[in-house]
Amino acid sequence: MTSSFTTTELNRKNQRTETLFKILFGMVTVTLIIPVAVILITLVVKSDGIFSWAFFSEYPTNGMTEGGIFPALVGTLWLVAVALLASVPLGVAAAIYLSEYAEDNWLTRIINLAIINLAGVPSIVHALFGVGAFVLFFEFGTSILAASLTLAVMTLPVVIVATRESLQAVPQSFREACWNMGATRWQTIWRIVLPNSISGILTGVILEVSRTVGETAPIMFTGAAFFLPFLPTSVYDQTMAMSLHLYVISTQVPNVPDGLPYGVALTLIGIVMILNSASMAFRTYLRGKKKW
Amino acid sequence: MKIMLFGTRADREVREDTSLEGQSNFWGLHQDKTLQIKMKFNTALAALLLPIVILSCGKAEGRAKMIQNKGSDTLVNVAQAWSENYREVNPSVAIVVGGGGSGTGISAMINGTVDIANASRSMKESELAAARANGIDPIEWIVGYDALAVYVHADNPIESISLEQLASIYGEHGEATTWSELGIKIPGLNDDKIVRVSRQNNSGTYAYFRDTVLGKEGKYKLGTLDMHGSKDVVDLCEKTPGAIGYSGLAYATDHVRLVPVLDSNGKPVIPTVATAADRTYPIARPLFMYTAGQPEGDIKLYLDWILSEEGQRIILNKGYAPVIDIK
Repeated sequence: MTSSFTTTELNRKNQRTETLFKILFGMVTVTLIIPVAVILITLVVKSDGIFSWAFFSEYPTNGMTEGGIFPALVGTLWLVAVALLASVPLGVAAAIYLSEYAEDNWLTRIINLAIINLAGVPSIVHALFGVGAFVLFFEFGTSILAASLTLAVMTLPVVIVATRESLQAVPQSFREACWNMGATRWQTIWRIVLPNSISGILTGVILEVSRTVGETAPIMFTGAAFFLPFLPTSVYDQTMAMSLHLYVISTQVPNVPDGLPYGVALTLIGIVMILNSASMAFRTYLRGKKKW
Repeated sequence: MKIMLFGTRADREVREDTSLEGQSNFWGLHQDKTLQIKMKFNTALAALLLPIVILSCGKAEGRAKMIQNKGSDTLVNVAQAWSENYREVNPSVAIVVGGGGSGTGISAMINGTVDIANASRSMKESELAAARANGIDPIEWIVGYDALAVYVHADNPIESISLEQLASIYGEHGEATTWSELGIKIPGLNDDKIVRVSRQNNSGTYAYFRDTVLGKEGKYKLGTLDMHGSKDVVDLCEKTPGAIGYSGLAYATDHVRLVPVLDSNGKPVIPTVATAADRTYPIARPLFMYTAGQPEGDIKLYLDWILSEEGQRIILNKGYAPVIDIK
């Protein structure tokens, strides 16, 4: 290598443009952090002094202006768990059919269109659907079951799309190799495709959980109560929930101490962030085990 | 590949027959991995469900009988306080409280999805008919009285307001759009347009204010800010110098002014629990609970307790007038 390679005016001009856009886009990207940081800092500062063990372990008292958020926390866990039990098997089964079995015909295309549309339906419409279908028609009443099924319908597209994407990311050659060993289609799916796409499926599930935890509209008419002095004991009971509790103490209850809504909001965000980090760590771990 | 994808049924059966056992060298590797991942998944699932199981088992206090109680935002905080306190009176009954507005409670009563509906207005004939058509005969109980206070910003110097002035501010044919038309100068405010704060139209407060101030046939002037809760109205008046709003007395805070309302003799009456109870305050109203038919069992016991001195002391503490005399 000799130094015969000299920079021309054009090279330098290109270099400058390159740098300019790099910095510009970089700055735009960094500004995306600002809202997140401001929200988090505000929540942390304003909820100062709210957190204690009692905050998580006690019932709200004195007109919900004192005490803890225990029943809301438990209620949210119930809602999420039942919603997952309903939507994950359905969503994964649908995704397996669409990715592994379905031919590209008008029916498949209609199903795909329906999934996309389902994802675009506003949550309040899901809520009203839930009231009509689960609360009134199936006569579940306002209950955890009705609320969770509403949440499940709402988050089904997330599970289906995430699962389908990760199934399709498994190289076709894996399937072909398996078939050539004489395995059936189902054996191939169960032993090759699913194990190799589990990280993507879990990501979809965790995304669903994050969304389920934060939703208010779908549960406020279908199963979440303003106040309930007991923990739910079955899926036919109503329950309090974190998101609705936050809405209620911010807009309906007079004389709530300033820090309380911020404390509830921070707890809600905390749950979502912990779940997201856990899913990311888990995914990285599984990805490290991939053999291609 | 297409051929592989859509092998015949016979093909598949043949493949099942030439089963994979006995090829453990190749498959062992994959099965290990599958098993490993399966176990990870089970661990994750257990981690998710464990807290629920622990929390529910540890703290659940037996199966409680639920009473569904939903409706008026005016009453929702009292309903909550009743529910909270009733837990000590009868731990085997859980009162599930929900808000949403009188309309929400009444339509839930018509649908048969609540045991007790809260309302800050009485049910209309059409609503009673709709309930009866569903085989439900709603029975009305007055559980307290509420003064509908008129709220303005703390800097607003207005001394008192008449029902006619309120009608002229809120009514469809009302003239008043600025504070100066009422002879009011709000210090430090250049634009003296009246910001009219109202409620969403399924609110009992909305309906009662309309019926009482604007008359039975009255309609609100367009351009009000319709808030979705009693507290929101007060919050907005607290922050907006030109605002006027109406909301239950119980939602008053230290940062907002309550305007005395002139009675039929032209005497200003301050909204208080006492003036609501003796009905000298002109826009005081009864608060209702509706039961589906004559209450029985736990619902009757709960309602009796609400109307007892203990229950009525709670509504008094929340800023409403009780239906019985309490020392």
